[in-house]
Amino acid sequence: MSEPNEPVPGLKQKKVFKIIVLGDSGVGKTCLTYRFCEGQFLDKSEATIGVDFRERTVRIRNEDIKLQLWDTAGQERFRKSMVQHYYRNVHAVVIVYDVTKPETFHSIANWMQEVESHGLTGAPRVLVGNKCDCGTPESRLATTYAQRLADKHGMPLFETSALLDSECDNVESIFMTLAHKLYSKQPLRVLSVEGERGPRLVTLSRQKRNNSSNDSCLCS
Amino acid sequence: MESISPDGDSGDKYTINGDCSPTSNKDSNSLNHAKNIDDISTPSELKFDEDFEFEDPDVTKKRKELEKCLSNPDVVNLEQWVNFAKSKAGLISDEYRRKIWPLLVGVTQEEMTEPPSLDELSTHPEYNQVVLDVNRSLKRFPPGIPYEQRVALQDQLTVLILRVIMKYPHLKYYQGYHDVAITLLLVCGDKASFPLLCRLSYGPSAPLAPFMQTTMQPTQHLLNYMLPVIRRADERLSDCLEKSGVGTMFALPWYLTWFGHSLNRYADVVRLYDYFLCAAPLFPVYVTAALVLHRAPDVLLCDCDMAMMHCLLSRLPDDLPFEDILVTAKKLYDENDPTDLEPEVAALEKREEQQRRADEERMRRRAAERAGRGRAGGWRALPAALRRPGPRRAALALAAALLAVYVYYRPDLFREREDDL
Ligand SMILES: Nc1nc2c(ncn2[C@@H]2O[C@H](COP(=O)(O)OP(=O)(O)O)[C@@H](O)[C@H]2O)c(=O)[nH]1
Ligand SMILES: [Mg+2]
Repeated sequence: MSEPNEPVPGLKQKKVFKIIVLGDSGVGKTCLTYRFCEGQFLDKSEATIGVDFRERTVRIRNEDIKLQLWDTAGQERFRKSMVQHYYRNVHAVVIVYDVTKPETFHSIANWMQEVESHGLTGAPRVLVGNKCDCGTPESRLATTYAQRLADKHGMPLFETSALLDSECDNVESIFMTLAHKLYSKQPLRVLSVEGERGPRLVTLSRQKRNNSSNDSCLCS
Repeated sequence: MESISPDGDSGDKYTINGDCSPTSNKDSNSLNHAKNIDDISTPSELKFDEDFEFEDPDVTKKRKELEKCLSNPDVVNLEQWVNFAKSKAGLISDEYRRKIWPLLVGVTQEEMTEPPSLDELSTHPEYNQVVLDVNRSLKRFPPGIPYEQRVALQDQLTVLILRVIMKYPHLKYYQGYHDVAITLLLVCGDKASFPLLCRLSYGPSAPLAPFMQTTMQPTQHLLNYMLPVIRRADERLSDCLEKSGVGTMFALPWYLTWFGHSLNRYADVVRLYDYFLCAAPLFPVYVTAALVLHRAPDVLLCDCDMAMMHCLLSRLPDDLPFEDILVTAKKLYDENDPTDLEPEVAALEKREEQQRRADEERMRRRAAERAGRGRAGGWRALPAALRRPGPRRAALALAAALLAVYVYYRPDLFREREDDL
C-alpha cells in the first residue's frame, strides 16, 4: 500500500519509512516520538490507548523522506489482537526500556520475540535506554550490561533522555540512524561513499538547538 | 523544558523518593496553596472553564425543571431522569450530575461506603500499571488545581480502580479505565463513584465489562459494529475508509473511555456520560459511527492512506456539535439494531481473518527465504564510546549520527536483506 518504492504515476511522492516503537508501559515511547517529531518534551504525556501516530519529514541526500512513527500501547492486553495489524509493512523497529527500571530491560526478550513472530527479524532495529537523566549512575542499568544484549541481537544501543533538551541530538540520531539505514537499503540505488560525511547529509529540520556550554547531561 | 535547569539541584530532585516524573514547579505549587484538602470532597467546586455568559432558553427552562425535581426526588421516576440525561444539554451542570448519575445506574446511598487506604491496596499485581496511568492523567484535572488537591485526587483515583478490580478479581484493568474512573470521581466524589464504577464494570449488561476480559477480542468485536453502521448510512465514506485500510483502532480510545481520553473539553465529556450512563451498552459505538459520518467531508478529502486516515480521525476537533451527533447516533441505533448488523460484522471479521492468514503466510515465506540465505547482517557499527552518554554528548551524538550515515552508506560492510523494502 505505501511501500517506500512504490511509484505513483504523475506524482512525485515522498518516500515513507514506517517505524514501530515498542517497549513496556511508561518507559517513554510517547515522549521520545514526540521529542523527535515536535522538537520538545511532552509535558503532560498520557497513557497510549491502542496505537498513536506521529510523523516528520527529514532530508536525506537531498531527498525528502517521511518518517512515520507508530507509538504503541505498552500494556500486554492491547498487543495480541490489536497492535498486530500495525506490524504490517513496518520497515524498522525501536525497542525502548527505562534505564531506572531493570524489569523493563528484562522484557526486551519478549519484545524481540514479538518482533520475530511478525517476520521482522531482518528489519533494522535499535535499542534505546531512556530516562538517563533520572537516578544516580549506580541506580541506572549499567551500559555494559545493556550493550551486551544489544550486541547479542546485533542492534545499536542508544542511551538518552526524552526530557533533556541537551539530549535532543541523541534522540535525533536514533531515528536518523534508522532512516539512513533504510535509505541505504533501497535497491537499485547507486550509492557513492565519497563526500557522504558532510553535515549537509543530516538535515535536522525543525530542531530547536540551544547547546549552551553548561547544557550537559545529568547522567554523567 | 525550561523549568528543569541542568544544575545539580534538579539532578537530585528526581532521585528523591524515586519520583522520576518531571512534574514542573512541583515545589512552588505545594508552597503557594493553602487550600484545604477537604475541598476535594465537593469536587464540583473545581471549575473547568465553563461559559455561563449566554444560556440557551431551552436550557434555562430545563435547569428550572431539574431543580424542581431535585427538590423532591422521591416522586421522580427513573424514566424522567433518563429523559433529562438524554435530551438536549443533558444534565447541564455537575451540581445536578452528582445527584443524578447514581440514580441513573441505580446506586443507593448505602452502597456509598468509605474507601480503604491506598496502603492496603498497594500489593495488588496491577498496582504499578494503575499508578503509572494515574500519574499521567494530569490533563484530565481542572486547570490550575492546587498541587495537593490533585495528588489527593490521584490517590483516590488509584484506590477507586483497585477497589473495583479487587472486588471482581476476574475483571482486568485496561489502560483507559482510569479515564472513565476519573470522570466519575470528579463529578461524584470518591464514595459514590465506587458503586457507580462497579455497576458499569460488572454484570451481564455492564457497558465496560467487555473491555475487562482477558483479551481485547470482545472489545474489538463490538467496535466492529461501527463499520456496517457507517456503510448503511454512507456507502462512499465507507468505501473510502475500507480502501485506506484504517480499521477501527482510531476509535478504540473513544469507546474504551467513552471519549474521556480523547476530548479536550470537560463539558463535552460529562455531557456524553449523561447519555451513556443510561443508554444501551453498545450505544457509544453508534456515537463513534455518527462522529465519523459527521466528519465525512474531511475523510473524503484525506489521502487514502492508512496512516493519514488514522491521524485525521483519531484527533478530534474541539468544536464538535455533540448534541447533533447524539441525535444522529440515536437515529442510527433505532434504524440499525445490533442484531440486524450481526451478519455484516461476521462477514467483515471473516475477511479480516483471511487477511491475517495471508499476512502470516507471507511472513513464513520471508522467514524461510531468510533461513536459506543465512543470518541477516548486523549492526556491528558504532563504537561503544559514541553511543554512551557522556559529558561531550551533543558533539558525540552528532558524530555518532554522521558515522552511522557513513557506515550505512557502505552496504558492502554488511550482508543485507533487500526484500524488506
Ligand atoms: N525523567 C524522565 N521522565 C521521562 C522521560 N521520558 C518520559 N518520561 C516520563 O515517563 C512517563 C511515561 O512516559 P510515556 O512517554 O508516556 O511512556 P510510554 O508508556 O512508553 O509511552 C511520563 O510521566 C513521562 O513524563 C525521560 O527521558 N526522563
Ligand atoms: Mg505511550
